[in-house]
Amino acid sequence: MNFDTRKYVIISFFVITGLMYGIKLFYMQVVDTETWKLEAQRIAERRIEVTPPRAVVFDRNGNKVIENKTYYNLMMIEEEMVDFDTVAFGKLIGMTKEEVLARIEEIKEGEGKYFNPHTKEYQTNYQRIRPYPFLKELTADEIARIAPQLDNFKGFYEEVTSMRNYPYRSGANILGYLAEVTQEEIDRDRFYKPAYKIGRAGIERFYEKEFRGKKGVKYIVTSARQNTVGSFEDGRYDTTAIQSQGIVLGLDIDLQAYGEKLMQNKKGCIVAIEPATGEILAMVSAPTYDPNLLVGRKNINEHYPKLVEDGNKPLFPRPLASEYMPGSTFKPIQALIAMQEGVVQANTGFPCNKSVVGCHNHPHPGSVTQAVQYSCNPYFYALTRRIIQQGKHKSSFKDSEVGIDIWAEYMHSFGLGKKLKTDITGLRAGNIPDSKYYDHWRGKGQWKFSAIQSISIGQGEVQLTPLQMANVAAIMANRGWFYTPHFVKSIDGGGPREEYTVKNRTMVDSKHFPPVVEGMRRCVHEPGGTASRARIPGVITCGKTGTVENFKLVNGRLIKKPNHSVFIAFAPMDNPKIAIAVFVENTGGGGGTWAAPIASLVIEKYLNGEVKSVEKEKRILDAKLSLWE
Amino acid sequence: MRKNDSITGNFDWILFGIYILLIVFGISTIYSVTYNPEHPSIFSFSEMYGRQIFFVGVSLFLGLLVFLIDSDIYRKFSIPIYLFTLSLLIIVLFTKPINGAHSWLGLGAFGIQPGEFAKIGTAILLANYMSSFNVKQQNGQTVIVSLAIIAIPMLLILLQPDAGTFVVFTAFFFVMYREGLTFDPIVLRIVNAIPGVRFKSTWLGTHFIPILFVVVFLLVITLIISHKPILLDAYPGEEFSGYWRMFIALFVTSILGYLIMRSIFAKRDARRALVIALMAFSTSVALTATVQFGFESLPPHQKTRIELWLGIYEPEEGTGKVEDGADYNRSRAMTAVGSGGFSGKGYREANVATTKTEHVPECETDFIFSPWAEERGFVGSIFLVILYTFLLLRVITIAERQRSKYNRVYAYSVAMILFYHFAINIGMNIGLVPIIGIPLPLFSYGGSSMMAFSVMIFLLLKLDSQRKDVLN
Repeated sequence: MNFDTRKYVIISFFVITGLMYGIKLFYMQVVDTETWKLEAQRIAERRIEVTPPRAVVFDRNGNKVIENKTYYNLMMIEEEMVDFDTVAFGKLIGMTKEEVLARIEEIKEGEGKYFNPHTKEYQTNYQRIRPYPFLKELTADEIARIAPQLDNFKGFYEEVTSMRNYPYRSGANILGYLAEVTQEEIDRDRFYKPAYKIGRAGIERFYEKEFRGKKGVKYIVTSARQNTVGSFEDGRYDTTAIQSQGIVLGLDIDLQAYGEKLMQNKKGCIVAIEPATGEILAMVSAPTYDPNLLVGRKNINEHYPKLVEDGNKPLFPRPLASEYMPGSTFKPIQALIAMQEGVVQANTGFPCNKSVVGCHNHPHPGSVTQAVQYSCNPYFYALTRRIIQQGKHKSSFKDSEVGIDIWAEYMHSFGLGKKLKTDITGLRAGNIPDSKYYDHWRGKGQWKFSAIQSISIGQGEVQLTPLQMANVAAIMANRGWFYTPHFVKSIDGGGPREEYTVKNRTMVDSKHFPPVVEGMRRCVHEPGGTASRARIPGVITCGKTGTVENFKLVNGRLIKKPNHSVFIAFAPMDNPKIAIAVFVENTGGGGGTWAAPIASLVIEKYLNGEVKSVEKEKRILDAKLSLWE
Repeated sequence: MRKNDSITGNFDWILFGIYILLIVFGISTIYSVTYNPEHPSIFSFSEMYGRQIFFVGVSLFLGLLVFLIDSDIYRKFSIPIYLFTLSLLIIVLFTKPINGAHSWLGLGAFGIQPGEFAKIGTAILLANYMSSFNVKQQNGQTVIVSLAIIAIPMLLILLQPDAGTFVVFTAFFFVMYREGLTFDPIVLRIVNAIPGVRFKSTWLGTHFIPILFVVVFLLVITLIISHKPILLDAYPGEEFSGYWRMFIALFVTSILGYLIMRSIFAKRDARRALVIALMAFSTSVALTATVQFGFESLPPHQKTRIELWLGIYEPEEGTGKVEDGADYNRSRAMTAVGSGGFSGKGYREANVATTKTEHVPECETDFIFSPWAEERGFVGSIFLVILYTFLLLRVITIAERQRSKYNRVYAYSVAMILFYHFAINIGMNIGLVPIIGIPLPLFSYGGSSMMAFSVMIFLLLKLDSQRKDVLN
């Protein structure tokens, strides 16, 4: 028998195998190669987003207000942990063996946890080969003690991280704070990843996009152990991360700190604005807190609940969000509107007739200037009546409706009754009532001036935020216009946002301002003025005090509480450098007693760089005014 | 007739050329894969590329040695050579296990794998034995002796254990097939034991080897069919082995086969049809049951590999994605190959199959095809497949031109061993064959494999060059 033909069986085995492999290779490498290329990318390449450090923030004088401080995380890779001596490790980091084991369990269950939108469940993507922070946010001192011994504990290493630091410990309500992003924020904005920090309040929140900078992207080749092997194709596709060049605030941090010191043991606000630019020089909300208390998880977890529960609401940004009746500080605006409307001339006099409203003892005001100087209540009742009821309609009801809308429009042009476009979140609008407002509350045709006359002296339905009050002071200083108050003076070497370079003109012409401003000067400098405590040697200050009656609704009944003390001012009278509003709650005294001297101290500090009125300063610092509820 | 007047007179330069080409490509790939910037020279002996060059040097020296010895010597000393390789296989069992297997015999700094050399010893003795008898003389004894020559080293290799080399030894069955060594005497003895049956020859016995491989292929299907247990609504909570499906299918097929045969055969052959049907049924059941049982008793990781290859793998709950777990090696190697694309990523540009990233384990040895395919793309990989196929066909050409049966049997052994290595190695890199750790001949890093294949090929070249001396 000849078996030579069997060689063909074997040859066909070889050829068929070669063909099969050729076809399969063609399919894998030519037809289906994209699938495998994606898979190769998934396993061997990594796109790393490089997040630049957050912007550093300077005040107007170049002082670093917010900086980044280096911290360390103690990282753990379970896969690399061999012969792990929990007792010795615990001793090194100050934990018991049980705590160490518990922390490892916690990391395994919690750190990789994420919400899977497909399964609608929380899943953990914890992996043994990935690094996780075992201890977070260690200081240089803490890590210096641990690091030298880490060689004995395989799988542990230190990693540098950075956190915010506020060297001046003040301006908390302006600067805000950072906190870890929520899942919703991650879903909304792809910039964020778990454990990223985001601005939660203040300008950190408002300027989040500018502060966080631009991310860079690095493509790297990774090994099976997730180590970086090198850059992908020599970094051809990489982009660099861009940190903000720095953000300069109009804030004067020394003035801010001084203001906070003056407001210690008091409740209230100070807002100071540079009238010529609209830059906010200081914005004190008292009581306040050290912004460093809300840096990092540990701190936030410890201090945030305390700050929230504090009855004095230190987290509440009063200058922006508290709406107060302005009291007599409102009178200068009323005078200006009346003159612009032509219902009153600069030399118009009204008798101090105490039949409608009470007043203190002073001569009858014979002009607008005197009325402001004496803060004469009956005068402003009469003046405001002329604005509201101009006699354009026979019906005084209808007349009031038209009049109040004209009045409200004037007020809006002063930035009142609407939110200022200041670069911070948490602003409120205050309240300037108009016809719609009264129609709603009292019924159409059911009211006229006599029903609402308390608005004449800044009481009743009128409400302003302290920021708005300071802006009014700035308008007085500028004699009729203002830039929207703002914090940021320059971003990355440029100017402020465009909206802050637009002059807002009020509806009152500049020519009507001098008599009112003169009245404000007399308030401070003439005998019989209400704000003599605001005098500063060598500086002509124009101001207006206010004493705001304070009612509180307790069990359905309005209870009279101690008065609030208010003062608005600007200085010097000519070429003003600072406009200010001070509001001190529940003092019981008038505006001249507490708010005026506080304002004068701030002005003195800002204009002269130092405060020589030592006694005045001492009196304020020692005062414990607020009734701590 | 011209006697060979020089050593190189009848030298097969084509086979030698392919041999050198594969080695050069192999070294270049090892250099790319294991490149260490601290030792950039390709001759650095601290690196794998330097060592591989050293291995090639030793191999060429051994090859020259083999070539200088008269081919008759190998024939005469085939039993001692065989016994020597067997003794190495026994000694190696008493060494310290590396990675759980006793495969390495330490010789100073370098170890050798006796399993690689046992192939040569077996090939020589098989050639010697099979050339010693005429085809017509073959009987049950010749089959059993031939099988024993193959089975003894296989058994010893199984003890190491080294599944890859074990599988490669089945290559010799094809050699037996080519030489017409039939299993008929054994099959007949079994079949004719049935009373009233008297066959002179059976198709099964004659073509036993190819049938065996076809059957193995079909058995794979058995595994796929029976891997899922049967759940019956009538017996809630109870699981029945999935093998029953196979059993029932075989039973039905046998009855159908019997009925068909009875209608075709003459009436007096009805009894024969019954015997055939019964035989087919019982052997099928026995075979499939054995495979099923054998599969169940495999170590878990090998079971998983086969399940993955068959596409019936189901990961245990909570173990995560398949490709990152049990199927890691296979999916990574395939990713490297597939991502190479048409023209490849370029020399030393691989980032999946390289020791830099370690995504493909053993990418300088068992998985060396994947970096080659990743860097050279389809162009390179099809070239390599063609080159190996060409090598195999060249060895067959050489085998068929031999005058002596001894030479031919040896040449076929070389061809089949090379084929097994080529088919399994590249097959597992492209997902066509389950993972079996054997090197790509002349290409993979490794001294033993390089030396063994070199000696194997040089011996073939030597036999071939002296083919005209033999008058057979």
